[in-house]
Amino acid sequence: MSSRSNYNNNSLHSSFKSKSVCQLNCRYCNGVLCRRGMKAILLADTRVELYSTDAAPIGVQLVANDYVTRNCLCQIRDVACLGCGNVVGYHVTQPCEVCMSACNNGHFWMFHNDSVKAKERMDPTGQKPLLWAQLLYHDKSPNSYDDECEIICR
Amino acid sequence: MLPPIQLNGFNNNTAVKYNNVSHDLSIIPSEKLKYNIHSWSSYSQPYHPKNIMVNKPQDQSSRWSSSSNNHMQFVTIKLDKMSIVKTITFGKYHKVHVCNLREFRVYGGLTPNNMIELLHSGLINDCKTETFALKFKTNDIVFPCLYIKIVPLVAWGTNFNFSIWYVELRGHTQQQIVEKAYHEYINYRENEVIRLCLKHFRQRCFLDTFNSLQQLTNIKLEDQLLTNLHTNLVINGDFDTTEEILYRASERNLFDDYIRDCQCKPVWRRINATDKNGNSPYMRGGHQMCIDSELGKIYMFGGWDGTKNLADFWEYDENLEEWTCLSLDTSKDGGPTPRSCHRIAYDSINKQIYVLGYFIETPDISANKESDFWKYDIASRRWIKLSSNTAAKGGPSLICDHQMLIEPKSQMIYIFGGRNQSKNNGEDNYSGLYSYSIKEDKWRLLRSDTNQPEYSVQLKSRIEHAMLINPETNELYIFAGKRYKDFTERKNNYLSDFYIYRIDDDSVIEVSKNYTMQGGPDGGFTQRATMDVELGEIYMLSGLLNEKNSNVDTIKNILWVYNIKKNKWTKIYQNTNYGSEYNNRISEIEPCTRFASQLVYDTKRKVHYLFGGNPGEVIDQSIRLNDFWELKLVRPNNEDILRSAKFHIRKQKYKEICNTGEYLQALKYLQNNVSEVVNHNDENESKEFRELTKFLFNIKQNPNNNPKTNNIQEKNDMLNDVYQERTELYEFLLKYFPNSMKEPLENLVDLVPIS
Repeated sequence: MSSRSNYNNNSLHSSFKSKSVCQLNCRYCNGVLCRRGMKAILLADTRVELYSTDAAPIGVQLVANDYVTRNCLCQIRDVACLGCGNVVGYHVTQPCEVCMSACNNGHFWMFHNDSVKAKERMDPTGQKPLLWAQLLYHDKSPNSYDDECEIICR
Repeated sequence: MLPPIQLNGFNNNTAVKYNNVSHDLSIIPSEKLKYNIHSWSSYSQPYHPKNIMVNKPQDQSSRWSSSSNNHMQFVTIKLDKMSIVKTITFGKYHKVHVCNLREFRVYGGLTPNNMIELLHSGLINDCKTETFALKFKTNDIVFPCLYIKIVPLVAWGTNFNFSIWYVELRGHTQQQIVEKAYHEYINYRENEVIRLCLKHFRQRCFLDTFNSLQQLTNIKLEDQLLTNLHTNLVINGDFDTTEEILYRASERNLFDDYIRDCQCKPVWRRINATDKNGNSPYMRGGHQMCIDSELGKIYMFGGWDGTKNLADFWEYDENLEEWTCLSLDTSKDGGPTPRSCHRIAYDSINKQIYVLGYFIETPDISANKESDFWKYDIASRRWIKLSSNTAAKGGPSLICDHQMLIEPKSQMIYIFGGRNQSKNNGEDNYSGLYSYSIKEDKWRLLRSDTNQPEYSVQLKSRIEHAMLINPETNELYIFAGKRYKDFTERKNNYLSDFYIYRIDDDSVIEVSKNYTMQGGPDGGFTQRATMDVELGEIYMLSGLLNEKNSNVDTIKNILWVYNIKKNKWTKIYQNTNYGSEYNNRISEIEPCTRFASQLVYDTKRKVHYLFGGNPGEVIDQSIRLNDFWELKLVRPNNEDILRSAKFHIRKQKYKEICNTGEYLQALKYLQNNVSEVVNHNDENESKEFRELTKFLFNIKQNPNNNPKTNNIQEKNDMLNDVYQERTELYEFLLKYFPNSMKEPLENLVDLVPIS
């Protein structure tokens, strides 16, 4: 589980709202893994930097079985890139009490730093980075591949 | 393009001629084959198919990865030279990977469009390199390949693309050999095409074409005996001579192949034998039996009676149907201590029995964990201790649930698998393949479980498997059993694979990675197997089963027959109900379900004997069985076949009499000659016979007797009808004859593509 602050359904702590939204590509096959990435640090080991997201990402799938690391008691399971099958991160299937009570960003999907390439997304003006505050909770649907560019038919 | 012609069924003399190439191939070592990538279905960047040519297990990108996981994916390899391809080796990533091929097929051929299947198997999702034997001959025809096509079917992770990391092919490229094989293969195909034409022309009554083609090519369609049969039956309509030919064929045992292929009927008989004092062996499981087929004597030693190990030693006389207790406790007669899960093997030349291994209870840490090795001399009734610790002499440590057998001519004992119980200082969990020379008193480790020759098929050790020896080919057949990754793992891992170990050249051939997938038995444990080398058959009685899609063990008595030549399993018996009530009720009809029983086969009398075992009683787990059974596998004999053949021949003759309009004669023939060859116990045949009367009321006008119709066309039609009917009868009768004698099974018309 990653980073501080409490996540309360549709309201993110202000420190997360100001973070930029990243698109994450697989470092191995370049396939799109996720369009809602957030740079974060691991709660259980703050030296570890990674990317996290709030909903099941489009380009990955769970593989193998749950396991527990030395850091905490969270049950986690690896996720692999659908393009090349390499393990690119993990999903917290059952968070532990310690992590849940600590300050976290509420994200259960993590990507290893060395497995992904991150690119900041731009806001509709194309000038400034897109911030988490501008992403709406109800847009969280994993299927909405492109959640800010609406195609208008007129 | 026509689909490939199946390579089966042709002349005996041609088969002998082609053996030369196969013989050469077993002597020459195989070499690594150079290749290039010829074509592929798709790939995703940067996983180009050419990556499979190099083995870099550390590099995640050194692989072919498809860009889709549909069933259209493939990679086709073109070899530098036309070669005889014998093995394929798959390298893998250094970690497990969801893109590894759980199931795949390999095809080979001389052109990319005309290939036959060489392998259907799957990879284990680990980092170990795997080697598979490829089919390179069928019916003794060695066929060279220029193209090899790998078709992924299922990846380990659903929804993931397929990846292949490394492919190595091994075989023969020597020009002389490959060219020889190529010419023989091409000749074979040319011959088969001519034979298919000959069959077609004769079937369609183009007899002039048939004769001229036969004369021009000098290729024989079939054995002379069958040509005689055809001439007499189809052309001359001489039914009496037809019957005579079949009778002579039966005298020459020509129906043996057919009889062997017939489904046999199991007949159980419970033997209630005792010794002279009225005693018989007590209940037990995990015991051992061996048989002296020559004298008809069965020996039984040890086992577990539900509470303790046994050391009693019995002899059963098949002719007298009588037990004799040779010893109530062999340890008091200078022999082995009480034991179970040991193995015994019988030396038919010196009439001696060997004993090795036993099971130790896990809490029993104080137990002596040294592996003793015994010999019993039947003539002198004496036990001889060959070794008190075989491990010290280079043999196996203390093992249980292994397999042991003797090749009597060479006086060699082979021991494979088993659980290693004295495991300390990093020894393998599973015992490997050992040989023991009786003459030299010398052990040799042929294959350890963990350290096996590179680029060869791995012989995974196991427990409670089956092992048999074919003394004609000097091959060990190894199949079934159980293997955990380690013994703490609780997951069932029942095997349904089949390997041949060739003693002469110390090589392993994989016959099947999973025979369940090919319609064979389910994976299981404590199977009991026997073999009849004469019939080319292996029999296997199932014990504990792990049936498809189930995690629960079931105990069923299922008897399978495996035809060695055809690589085919057939289920011939299963007792369907389970539960002690049912079991008790039928205890005189067939044996109740069990495992850890013992089964031996008398190769001379062709009878199986089954004794005891564990019924798997849930309430009282200490119950073991002491029932003794005889099992005969009954097949049709020559008389049955002749009778059935006569029925079909006389049916035709009767119909033809009906055609002449002589219905009184027809009726008389039906009542006398046809009736006497009908098996009235067979409902279908009896019905067919009764329905024959309808032809009496359906009499056609014979054009010869009818002055009004001089219509040649009509007459020809009728003759044609008769020719067709007789041809059908001829082809029906062919089923009794061996493939090597008869016309091709395929039909030319089936080779016409419909598109």
